[in-house]
Parts: sequence; structure tokens; C-alpha cells
Amino acid sequence: MSHKSNSLRGLALQKFKKNFWGVFSFCFIIFVGFIAVFAYIFAPDNTQHANQMHLAIHSKKPGFSIDMLTIPSDRKEEQGGLDAILFGKKNTNTEVPISDFSVEDGVLIYQEYAADGIEGAEKTIELSIFPNQSVEGFIVERTFLFGTDKYGRDLLSRVLVGARISFFIGFVAVFISLLIGLLMGSAAGYFGGKVDAVIMWVINVTWSIPTLLLVIAITLALGKGFWQVFIAVGLTMWVEVARIVRGQIISTKEMQYVTAARALGYTDYRIIVKHILPNIMAPLIVISAANFAAAILIESGLSFLGIGAQPPMASWGAMIKDHYNYIILGKPYLAIIPGLCIMILVMAFMLIGNALRDALDVKN
Amino acid sequence: MPETPILKVENLTISFGKNEVIHGISYSLNSNEILGIVGESGSGKSVSSLAILGLLPKKIANINSGSITYNNTDLTTLKPKLFQKIRGNKIAMIFQEPMSSLNPSMTCGKQVQEILLQHTEQSKTDAKEAVILLFEKVKLPNPERVYDAYPHEISGGQKQRVMIAMAIACKPDILIADEPTTALDVTVQKDIISLLKELQAETKMSIIFITHDLALISEIANRVLVMYKGHIVEESLVADIFNNPQNNYTKALINARPSLDTRLKKLPTIQDFLDNDISDDIISHDQRQKNHEKLYGKPPLLEVINVEKAYISKSGLFSQSQSFKAVNDVSFKLYEGETLGLVGESGCGKSTLGNAILQLDKATSGQIIYKGIDITKLSKAETRTLRKDIQIIFQDPYSSLNPRIPVGQAILEPMKVHKLYNSDAERKARVIDILNKVGLSEDYYNRYPHEFSGGQRQRIGIARTIALQPKLIVCDESVSALDISVQAQVLNLLNTLKEDFGFTYIFISHDLAVVKYMSDQLLVMNQGQIEELDDADIIYANPKQEYTKKLIEAIPKGI
Repeated sequence: MSHKSNSLRGLALQKFKKNFWGVFSFCFIIFVGFIAVFAYIFAPDNTQHANQMHLAIHSKKPGFSIDMLTIPSDRKEEQGGLDAILFGKKNTNTEVPISDFSVEDGVLIYQEYAADGIEGAEKTIELSIFPNQSVEGFIVERTFLFGTDKYGRDLLSRVLVGARISFFIGFVAVFISLLIGLLMGSAAGYFGGKVDAVIMWVINVTWSIPTLLLVIAITLALGKGFWQVFIAVGLTMWVEVARIVRGQIISTKEMQYVTAARALGYTDYRIIVKHILPNIMAPLIVISAANFAAAILIESGLSFLGIGAQPPMASWGAMIKDHYNYIILGKPYLAIIPGLCIMILVMAFMLIGNALRDALDVKN
Repeated sequence: MPETPILKVENLTISFGKNEVIHGISYSLNSNEILGIVGESGSGKSVSSLAILGLLPKKIANINSGSITYNNTDLTTLKPKLFQKIRGNKIAMIFQEPMSSLNPSMTCGKQVQEILLQHTEQSKTDAKEAVILLFEKVKLPNPERVYDAYPHEISGGQKQRVMIAMAIACKPDILIADEPTTALDVTVQKDIISLLKELQAETKMSIIFITHDLALISEIANRVLVMYKGHIVEESLVADIFNNPQNNYTKALINARPSLDTRLKKLPTIQDFLDNDISDDIISHDQRQKNHEKLYGKPPLLEVINVEKAYISKSGLFSQSQSFKAVNDVSFKLYEGETLGLVGESGCGKSTLGNAILQLDKATSGQIIYKGIDITKLSKAETRTLRKDIQIIFQDPYSSLNPRIPVGQAILEPMKVHKLYNSDAERKARVIDILNKVGLSEDYYNRYPHEFSGGQRQRIGIARTIALQPKLIVCDESVSALDISVQAQVLNLLNTLKEDFGFTYIFISHDLAVVKYMSDQLLVMNQGQIEELDDADIIYANPKQEYTKKLIEAIPKGI
């Protein structure tokens, strides 16, 4: 029995590998996923939510550089290493952008940075608060590759950390929608009759509720926050999955191998799970890819409206919301960068969906 | 008959991608003749005729060499624009499936009229008259009504007549008929064949008649081409082919179909002819008699008493629901070890009856008693246990296997569900045993269904069915979708298995010849009711009912 067999899945995989845009998008999504998980390792600003503000240098251009003085705080936070990697450092240090400094008699004299050529205030600070009695390592030149946002936070770090929300909302929403959609869709399609009528009624009602309204309702019930958005998006998206599953099952049910399974005395559960669902995976995978993209867009939209992820959490939609009025003030990059991120990620999912559709189409 | 070729195919080679499917065939079609092309699926008979009309799929099909000459023009190099003038006008075609080759949203009359308006300069009213004349010519009842009828309002045979009317509308020189009667019942097939013959005699056009059925072709064609795997293996006049076939393949094709007169112990297959290993053992009348005495002495295994199956259709909110009885008051007894043939035309309720016995589709009323228990009253769980005893072999080998499960697993699964044998290892050994029994090697255990041919798949389906060691097997058109040579193999296999395991079969088919070969008793159904029930040989020899007579008469006999 050494014969190695080509399953339909194997054939589809071979076909997918030949599709350049599919593979490219797949790699890109893996890349973004990797960044999203390890965002705090890559981010220059690895504080929690990349939330280190420097109001003096707000909304600077990409590539802006400045000396940064870090004043250590006396409060020490207890935090494990893994926690810091996954959720960012809890930081109580103060960072001050400075334009000049000197050290005299154990006292550090520095001039705060002020924009537009105004002289900043001169301030002094005892060297004793620094460990080793020296400022070495506490004044460094910092470059902001994507510039800074309106609170003077590093935009690059915010974008990296914000990828998490977009990515995870995709996963959670698709997971919830698949869970409910598969359950309801298979029941409606397989059993038909009254079960079908009831489920179709639920589907139609759910479909008629605008996502926005549902999110507001859920927010009212469960409180504000990004988890509520995840659930709300998942709850609106299952209807599409359910409709597709239902339609597919109705047509697959007519295939003789399903009748054969019934004639062989298999239980309904076994027939659905082992004989029908594997055969309708193709449209399901494609709609999931599209749903992934849609979920990212919906979350951005909700965050833009202020009912998505709440500050200080970084989210691409919220970043656009924070900065869209800068577009007319000549600093469009603040809104354009997260906008581009959304576009590219959504497009990658759409392309992967297309490639999968072509690959899973067994007819050709 | 004048021997002037109207169409000449020379050294034609066609390939799909890198795969050559037609290997340099040459033939000619004379004017005023009916040329039959016969071959099994994949022999290239349809592809070569599609090439004549330039209807091959552009992207994948390629004419590598050769020419098709019609009226001194080479059709292989003709420009698409010029082709449109020939298609439908000079060379017309009738397709296999009348159900899907008519546009369901246009009335039949309009569809035929459209062709006339396209190819001639007639006015609309003239064209309408012409269409009604055409409908009269193809013997459609009440042509005016059919003119305004939508395709779903007329029967399958009538649709095929509309298709023929459409094809001959422009008085073509050549008519290509690609399996025009395969989807139709035998009685309708007979009418269509005689219609085509009459039309040919009247209009003196040439017909290329493509089919897989040699007996059918003997009724219509003057000359026959036999195709096998993209080659023409034999070409001669129809009488010569039947009386004196030269090629082994042709011989096999003629003999593989069960004969209506004698009953061979084992049907010869192509392999037998190639190996020259044909056994002509006949089951004699006495042997059969003796066997029957033994069979019918025992109490019946299955008893069907007054079974009815009604379908209720609700057409509107306020209109009364109408019920239609697909099976109407059917009773019969089935004895252990026998084969009961169930024959009838499409829509007669034979499959519905089969499903009712299998409990796949519950009967509306009546009793089905299996081993003394009324199985219509069993609970869901009890029915599932019963499934082990009553099994089915399906018609379509392509859709009856789950494409995502390797065949070994598919055969093993029912054993597992019904908890036969103790361990998976034991079951697997058993699966390999069964695979060998149906003539497949154990190498196939891990392969997927799409890697097999139709005949092999049907064997796998049979293997899955017998994995549960059932008592009673319903064969629902189990060989109808198979080529004749494969059909013979599967019928032989079914008979061998019956001997080895002592199965009882209910053999459902529309093909009287096959049913007669297989059955002990024969049950003829018409419109949900039993027309006749008796020993198969007796029914065939002296049919008592009008309907049975009509059915037997309609079978193409061959020469």
C-alpha cells in the first residue's frame, strides 16, 4: 500500500502554489501576523499600547529626529519578561524632548524642545535620580520613521501595535461566524422543512439589523471595548456563512453519496460532519477570506466612529479618526499611513480568497 | 444509392492539450445516406463530430492535422464568420439532452422561428407558418399549441421533436444526431427513430447518427463506423457488421449486450474476446425451473402489501393541494436468493418503490414486511440497524462515492459504524478481501474516487454495499450509466457475488434486455401500478398486457 495518492486537497494545494498573487498575499499575511504577535519587539516605542506621549513634538513629519531625555520614575513596576513582550512594558518613566543640555555640579540643566523656533524653558534636575549618577544612556537621539501623532506618540509603533486589532478581529469574527453559521446553516439545509423555515426567519431578521445598531446594542449591554466589537461583528457575519452553507448542503444532499451514507445507516451527525461538510469547504474557505477582509473594514469603520477600540488602545481605524482633520492642514500622512495599511491587508485577503477560489475549483 | 461523398474527413487528428484523443481518422459521408458512428464513452465519436461543426472548445482542443472537406471547403480552417452561415443552415445538429438544449424562457415556436429568421429572408408571418408546417412534419400533436408552449409544458419526446424541427428548419444537407434518443424511453426512442428515417427519405439529406447502442444503429443506419479509443476499427455496411464482424472489439460490442433469446451463464467482455476465451454456457430452461422450485418453496423474505406513495403539491395559498400517487397499491413477494426485475419507463414509480423498500423515502400507506417485521413502523434507531440487511447499489458511479474519502476508508466506514469485527486491522483485512472479490487490487486502498474509471467506481460502490453483508440488495439502474462492455463485467460480477454470498436482488432498470437477463421474476410497472408480474421468460414470450407488448416491441433488436 505504498501508492501515494493525490487527494483533491493535494491537487488544490498544487494549484494554489502556482498562483503568484495568492502565494504572495499568503506570505504577506503571515508576515503581518508575525508582526502583530511580536509587535512590541519590533516597535521603537514598546510601552503598553505604544502610548508614550511627547506633546511638545506632536504631529511631526516622517523621519523627524530629536534628542530625548528619559527621566526615570521612582516607582518600579513589577512585570515578567513574557508579559512585556506580548503586552508591552508598563512604563512610568517620563520622556522629554530636549534641544540642549549641560551637566554642572551634579545637576543636569536642559532646555525643553519647543516647535516653530520658540525657545523652550530651561529646567534643572538632580543627577542623583539617575542610576550611576550619570546621564549617559538617558539622553539619546530618537528618530520617528513615520513621524508622530497628535499626542507626540511614535506613529510607526502605533501602526505595528494596531495591526493586532485588525488581525485579531478578523480571526475572532470569522471564528464566531463559522461556529454559528455552520451550525445554523447545516441544520437548515440538511433537515429542511420547519427547521429551515425557523432558521431562515432568524437569518433574515439578523440580516436586517445594521451592524452599527447591533454594536451599539451590544455595547450598551456589555460595555464599551474592543471585545464587544469582535463579538458584534461575528454576530452579524454568521448570516452570510449560514446562507452559503445552507445552499451548498441543499445541493450536496442530492448527491448519491449522501443517499448512500443514509442507506448505510450512518447517523445524521456523521453524514453532515464527515460526508457533506468536507465537500463544501471550498466556498466556505473563500467566504471566510472575504469575511476576514470585511471584518477588518467594519472594525476600522466602528473605531472611526468611536465605538470600536477605546483609547489608548491603538487601532488603524481609530488612528484615522484621530487625524483625519490633519489632512487639510497639510499633514495627510497621519491618516494616510493607517489607511494604506488597512487597504493592503484587506487586499491581501481578497487576493488570497480569489486564488483559493481558483485553486479549489475542481472542475477545471 | 449514389456514391458521391458530400463530406470527407481525412486523416483527422485532434488533441486536448497534450493528450491526443483522435488518431488520424478518415471517413466520408455520401449524400442521401445514414451513417452510424458507434463507440463507447471516450472513443472520440462526439469529439470528431463536434469538429465538423467547429464547436470544439477553443482553448483546449486542437486539430493537429487532417482536413474536413464539405462542398470543396476545408472546415478546419474556415473563419468563424463564414462558419455561422454553414452551421444550422447546411449542417445541423441534434443533441442528446432535449431537456437542456431548449431555452426554458422562450416558447418552442419562437426558438424554431429564430433560426429561420437568422438564415433566410422570410417575413415573421411566413416564418411562423413555416414553423407550424415543420411541427406537423415532425408529427407533433396540435402544432399550434406547441408553437405557444414553453419547453416545460411538453414531454421529453416532444422536446426532441422540436429539436429535430429546429435542425431541419433550413433543409440542411447534413444532420448530425449525437445520441438523440439516449435520454428517452424505449417506446419514445422507437418513434423518434422512425421519424428520422421518414424525414431522411423525404428530404434526401445525409445523417450522421452517433450512439453507443449497436442494436439501435442497426435499425437506422446504412453504413456503420465502429470507433474505439480514437481509431476507426471497423467500417462497413450495417448487415456485414452484424453478420460478419471482423474486429474483436466489434464482436465484443455485439455480444456483450445480453441477448433476449438465450441466457448465457457469463456475458463475454472485451477482454474475453481479446484472449479468445469465450464461454457459451447457457442456463437451460430445466436448470432454471429446478432452481425456481427450490427458491419458491421457502417463505418469502420480503413482502410488500398495498404500498402507496403519494406526493402532495401545493400550487397556491388558496388552491386545493393536489396529490400525485407515484406508487399506487403495489403488492408482491420476494423470496430469498431470487432476483426480482423491476422494469418500466421513466416516471413509472420503480425507483420510488425501491426507496420505499429501503426506507429512504417512507411509503404513505401499506406494509413492507421483512422477515416477519413491518419495517414501515420501525423507529429511527431500529431503521439504522435494519440498513445492515437491506442495501442499495446506485446508478451513477460518479456521484455515489464521496470525492474526499479514499476508497478503502469508504468501504471500511460502514463496518465501523455497524460495529462489525473487533478492530480496525481486522476490518482493513476484510476490506482488502472485498476489494479482491470485486476485481480490484489492494493497491487501490488509499486512492481517491476521481482516480478511477466509471466501471471501477461502480465496483467500489458494490464493494461498499457488500461490506455490510446485506441480505437484500436493491440495484437501482446500477448498470445504466455504464458502457456496454463494462456493463457486461458488472452484471457478471453481480451474478458471481450472488452465488458466493447468497444475496437477493431487486434489479431496477428501464432496459428490458438487461432485466430479463438478470431476473427470475419480472415486474412491469406503469404509472405507479403493476402491469404484469410473472417469470421473466414467460412475460417475454407471451406478454399479456398491451403495455408490456409495446415495451418489448420497442427494444431495438439488432440483426
